[in-house]
Amino acid sequence: MSDDRKALISLRNVKKVYRTRDTELEALGDVSFDVFPGEFVSVVGPSGCGKTTLLKILAGLLPHSSGEIVVESENFDIEREVGFVFQKPLLLHWRKVLDNVLLPIEILKINRKSMVGRARELLSLVGLDGFEDRYPNELSGGMQQRVSIARALIHDPKLLLMDEPFGALDAITRERLNMELLHIWEETKKTILFVTHGINEAVFLSDRVIVLTARPSRMAASLDIDLPRPRSQEVRTDPAFGRYALEIYKGLEIT
Amino acid sequence: MSLATLAPKLKTPAVILAILAIWQGAVGLFEIREFILPTPLSALEHLFLPQPDANYNWMVHIRATLLEIGLSFVITSVVGISIAIALAWSEASRKVSMPLFVFVNSLPIIAIAPILVLWSGYGLKTNILIAFLVSFFPVVINTLAGLAAIEEELLDLVKYLHGTKLQVFLKLRIPNSLPYIFTGLKICSTMCVVGAIVGEFIASDRGLGYIIINSQYTMDSPPIYAGLMLVSLFGVSLFGLVGLAERILMPWARRGVAEK
Ligand SMILES: Nc1ncnc2c1ncn2[C@@H]1O[C@H](COP(=O)(O)OP(=O)(O)OP(=O)(O)O)[C@@H](O)[C@H]1O
Ligand SMILES: [Mg+2]
Repeated sequence: MSDDRKALISLRNVKKVYRTRDTELEALGDVSFDVFPGEFVSVVGPSGCGKTTLLKILAGLLPHSSGEIVVESENFDIEREVGFVFQKPLLLHWRKVLDNVLLPIEILKINRKSMVGRARELLSLVGLDGFEDRYPNELSGGMQQRVSIARALIHDPKLLLMDEPFGALDAITRERLNMELLHIWEETKKTILFVTHGINEAVFLSDRVIVLTARPSRMAASLDIDLPRPRSQEVRTDPAFGRYALEIYKGLEIT
Repeated sequence: MSLATLAPKLKTPAVILAILAIWQGAVGLFEIREFILPTPLSALEHLFLPQPDANYNWMVHIRATLLEIGLSFVITSVVGISIAIALAWSEASRKVSMPLFVFVNSLPIIAIAPILVLWSGYGLKTNILIAFLVSFFPVVINTLAGLAAIEEELLDLVKYLHGTKLQVFLKLRIPNSLPYIFTGLKICSTMCVVGAIVGEFIASDRGLGYIIINSQYTMDSPPIYAGLMLVSLFGVSLFGLVGLAERILMPWARRGVAEK
C-alpha cells in the first residue's frame, strides 16, 4: 500500500475504557492503523481483546475514550456508508428474507421499490436464490449469516465491518463462505475490515492483517500479505502463506 | 377434509356436548327442582319460545350485550396499546403515570361501579367504561413488556445507520411485541365480557347481564342459564377471534412443524 493515497479511515491511538460503577476495564489499549479504499484488512486477537469494541466504535455504536478516528477520504460518509455484519446474524424473525435485506434501505429512507431488484441480486450473490419469501427461522445458521451479509451490502456501503461473521459455523461452511466473501469483495470493490480468530482465515483473505495482543490490547503487528489475487485454495500451499501465519502466531505469542 | 383431520377439531365440541348430556341426565336422575338447576334443554328452549310467551325479547338483549362487548374490546385494545406505546416512548411519562394505572387497576371496579353510574349515567357508556376499567391493565402491561423485550443487539441495526427513535419503534419494538400484545388482548377479550356483564347488572335495562339479574329476582332460572350459556359462547368466540387474528397477523410464528 502506498502511503500517499488517502486512507478511508484512520485510527490514531484509539483507546477504550469501559467504566462501570466501581470498576474500570481497559478494553482497547492503544490502537493505530489506517484502512485504505478497496483494502481487505483483518484484525486477529485473543477473545476479549476488544475486537468487537473496535468495530462498534468505528460504526458509531460506542464512544471511544481517547484518540482519534479520522475519515480522510472526502467522499466517504461514515454515517451512511458503513455496512455491519455482526457476530450473530441478528435477523428480524417477523420479516421475510427479502424484507430483512431491505431494512437499511428503510432506515436510510431510500425509495424501497427501486432497491427490491438489487436485494434479489445480492441474495443470489450470496447463494440464496429462491429464499426471498422465507422467514429466518426456516433457514440454517449459515444461510442466516449470508442474509445478514446481503443486508450489510444493500445500501452500497464503502466500508464493510465484519465481526467474526463465520465464527459460529462449521469448518466446511466457513471455507465456502470465505470463498463467497472474496468473490463478493472482488465484485463490489468494497473496503472490508474483518475480525476473526482464525489465523489461516486472516492470511487467506486479507491484504493486511492487524494482530492485537490480549487486553489491554496493543498492536503486536501489522502484516502486509503479499500473495497473488484472485486467491484460490492453492495459495495455502505457498511457502509464504506459512511464513505469514507463523508471524501472526509470534505476534500472538503462541510459540 | 378427511376424518383424520376433522377428528381433532371435533374434540372440544364433543367435550361440551358430553358435559351438557351429563347435566341433562343428572337433573332428571336426582330430580333437582328447576329453580335450583334447570336442564340445559329447558334453558335453551327458553331462547326459542315465541315472543309473547318468553319473558324477554332475546334479540334485543343479545344485540345490546354484543355491542357492549365489541365496542369495549376495540376501545380497550386501541387505548391500552396506545398508552403502552406512550409509556415505553418516554421514561418520564412512565414514572409519572405508571403508579396511577396500578392504582386504578387495584381498585375493586365492581365496588366503585355505583359511583361510575352516578357520574356517567345508565346504559351503554357506563358499561363500556366498566369493561374498559377491568380489562385495560393486562393490555398495557403485556404491550409494555413486549416493547421492552427487544434484544439489545437488534437496536444496533438501526443505530449504526443513525435511524430515529420512531424507526426503532416502528421497525423493531412494535413488531417484536406482537406476541405479547396478543397475549394481552386474549386476557382483555375475556375481561371485557366480565366487565360488560357486571355493567349490565348494575347500570342497565337491557343485555344478558340484565336478564340474569332480573330473572334472579323472579326465581325464573331457565333464562339465567340460557343467558350464561350465551355469555360464555360470546367470550369463547371473541377469544377465538383474537387467536385467529394472531395467526393471520403473525405468519412467521405458525411455520415450521407443519411444513418441515
Ligand atoms: N458493555 C461493556 N461493559 C463493560 N465491559 C465490556 C462491555 N463490552 C465488552 N466489555 C469488555 O471489554 C472486553 C473486550 O470485549 P469485546 O467484546 O470487544 O472482545 P472481543 O475481542 O470481541 O472478544 P471475542 O473475540 O470473544 O468476541 C472484554 O473483556 C469485555 O468483558
Ligand atoms: Mg467479539
